[in-house]
Amino acid sequence: MLVYGLINSAVLAVMALGFNLTFGISGVANFAYGAIYVVSGFLTWTLINHLDLPYALSAILTIIIIGVFGGLIYKLIIRRIRGLVISEVIATLGISIVILEFLRYVGFIGFKYSLPVFIKGSVEIFDAYVDIQRFFIIVLGILLITGLYLFTHHTKIGLAFRGIAQEEHTSLSLGINPDRIASFSMGLGSSLCAFAAIVILPLGTITVDSGYDVLINALSVCIVGGLGSTFGVIIASFIIGYAQTITATYLSPHWTIIVSLCAILIILAIKPSGLLGHQKELEERV
Amino acid sequence: MKRMVLCLFFATVLILSVYPASAQQRILLGIPTSLKLIEGYEGNKAAELAVEEINAKGGVKIGAEKRLLKIEALDIRDGEPGVPTSEALLGIEKLILDKKIYATVVGNFRSEALLAAMDIYSKYKVINIGTIAMTPKFQEKVLSDKEKYKYSFRNCLDSRYLAGYMQNMMKHISSQFGYNKVFIATQDVLWATATGSMMEKWLKGNGWTVAGFEKYPVGASDFSAGLMKAKAAGVQVILPIFDMPTSGILVKQWKSMKIPALMAGFISPLMGTNAWKTFGEDIDGLMNVVFEIGYFPIKAYPPTVKFSEAYIKRWKEDIQSGHGAAPAYDTVYLLVNAIEKAGSLDPDKVVKALEATDMVGVVGRIKFDSGHQLIFGNDPKTAAVGAVFQWQKGKMAVVWPDSIASAKIIKPSWVK
Repeated sequence: MLVYGLINSAVLAVMALGFNLTFGISGVANFAYGAIYVVSGFLTWTLINHLDLPYALSAILTIIIIGVFGGLIYKLIIRRIRGLVISEVIATLGISIVILEFLRYVGFIGFKYSLPVFIKGSVEIFDAYVDIQRFFIIVLGILLITGLYLFTHHTKIGLAFRGIAQEEHTSLSLGINPDRIASFSMGLGSSLCAFAAIVILPLGTITVDSGYDVLINALSVCIVGGLGSTFGVIIASFIIGYAQTITATYLSPHWTIIVSLCAILIILAIKPSGLLGHQKELEERV
Repeated sequence: MKRMVLCLFFATVLILSVYPASAQQRILLGIPTSLKLIEGYEGNKAAELAVEEINAKGGVKIGAEKRLLKIEALDIRDGEPGVPTSEALLGIEKLILDKKIYATVVGNFRSEALLAAMDIYSKYKVINIGTIAMTPKFQEKVLSDKEKYKYSFRNCLDSRYLAGYMQNMMKHISSQFGYNKVFIATQDVLWATATGSMMEKWLKGNGWTVAGFEKYPVGASDFSAGLMKAKAAGVQVILPIFDMPTSGILVKQWKSMKIPALMAGFISPLMGTNAWKTFGEDIDGLMNVVFEIGYFPIKAYPPTVKFSEAYIKRWKEDIQSGHGAAPAYDTVYLLVNAIEKAGSLDPDKVVKALEATDMVGVVGRIKFDSGHQLIFGNDPKTAAVGAVFQWQKGKMAVVWPDSIASAKIIKPSWVK
């Protein structure tokens, strides 16, 4: 349970990082996140199986295409309603439903959509066999978080990201274009989502319905951790990840998604800004 | 020029007046089903294949004349989540009233839609021979008012027979290996949990210890917690009952976690050759219950070989679902037989002929019980047959029943 709880936590963290990044910078809660995750899986599958491209190339192409797609969603739709929170939620949720139902309509139904694991096989840890792909998730998750930290602290565009996140109007006065940066953040968030899909989906199959579950999980991790806080996401992933594993082991797997929803309710009742949501804390006090 | 125009006009009138008459000659068979779901998709194609074969031989003989058949398929989506039963029923009525179909084959996915549709079929006296929905309530409803519901038949397995086949599979495992400890894992939908509960009761009454009964929500994609429980309890068999696309992951995890127990039950997505293409050796060793034989060739019963080859030749793909396709093919033939025996299209006469059906089909010998349910057994010479196969190095090796078995159960390397 310890081992699988850790892996589940890593899966949640990788899954939620893109959502968190987009919200932290642009303030847009991207409810199309789950749909983008599913599209990424199907796109990689299509590139491998219909265009016969190598797995690595398909993965890289998917991450780039989905990044551009995310940026376009911002440019074409979100930019016009930015700041109108309800409209942003309705618009991104609408996009999500359109994408998922379109995928269903064109026939992406069934079990045959599955991505290959990076390396086959499993290893024994504490009397439990764990497949190597799960270790990849942990390692890549750590690398991703480190990379994101370096990007946002040591690159010009990364610093612009943080500037917008901290104070948009001041950033504007320093020559940072908030719309451009928000568009980048949406694109980068979508690329991270595609990355998560490519790493996690080899453990299972790609299904349209999983888009809704991914959204709920990403949302719960970000809300519990504090929207916009990367360390909050990591802590919340561990809390929810272990809570889900314990629930599945001692109660029933049926209740695992309830864990995520309950976590949202509890945190909203006790500390609406989330565990480490410093950005919103002041706003909350006011 | 004037004469030419006149000739063209009369030719057009002649063609238009002859065309509907010849079109009317065809007997229309409706297929109201979920065409995007695998059982509906393949059932439609199998029925179409039968229609083409029959038409190629001149059609259905009714008295002195021969009539061709034609399929009218309609996607009523009743197997898809969120589609209300009422919508499915509207689709069926549309086929009956607009298209003037004579009978329906394949039919409903969801049992509640089938039970509701039976009233429509009796209202319009339309013969309905279903091959997908599996509730035993079907027979109960037919028997509750035989005169009213006599137009409905079911030419496929029902959930009682499914439980029976699973029980036979467990007996077979027990006799071969002496196992007596099992863990049940089902999808949390009515048919699966009901079958699981039936199995739990039977297993407990037949010397087995049921170490756990786990229900997974539709769409679940992580089964590790349940598998760890099964391992900790020291079970020798895991009995899965699933039809959701993500259920293949259960078997992948079973292998990667090296759970030392046989995996034997029903996992719908792992029934056909595409499963091996998708999951490869991850599913080697899995045992699956086939609802009706015929969707892959079984040498011991030649009609299955003939049907599989004909299907692949016609549609350039092989059948992936262990439920519905072979019965859909048989259904067209048994309906045609009944019409020819009745010598009429009068539904009441055809129903009588259907009730007396005794023919060799792809699924075995076809006979109906008093509740219009196809009778299943263990030998295709005497009844329709389901089977148990095991994935053995990419091949679907039939391990039960003995009448058609071609292999013994092989334990995966990590199972003692």
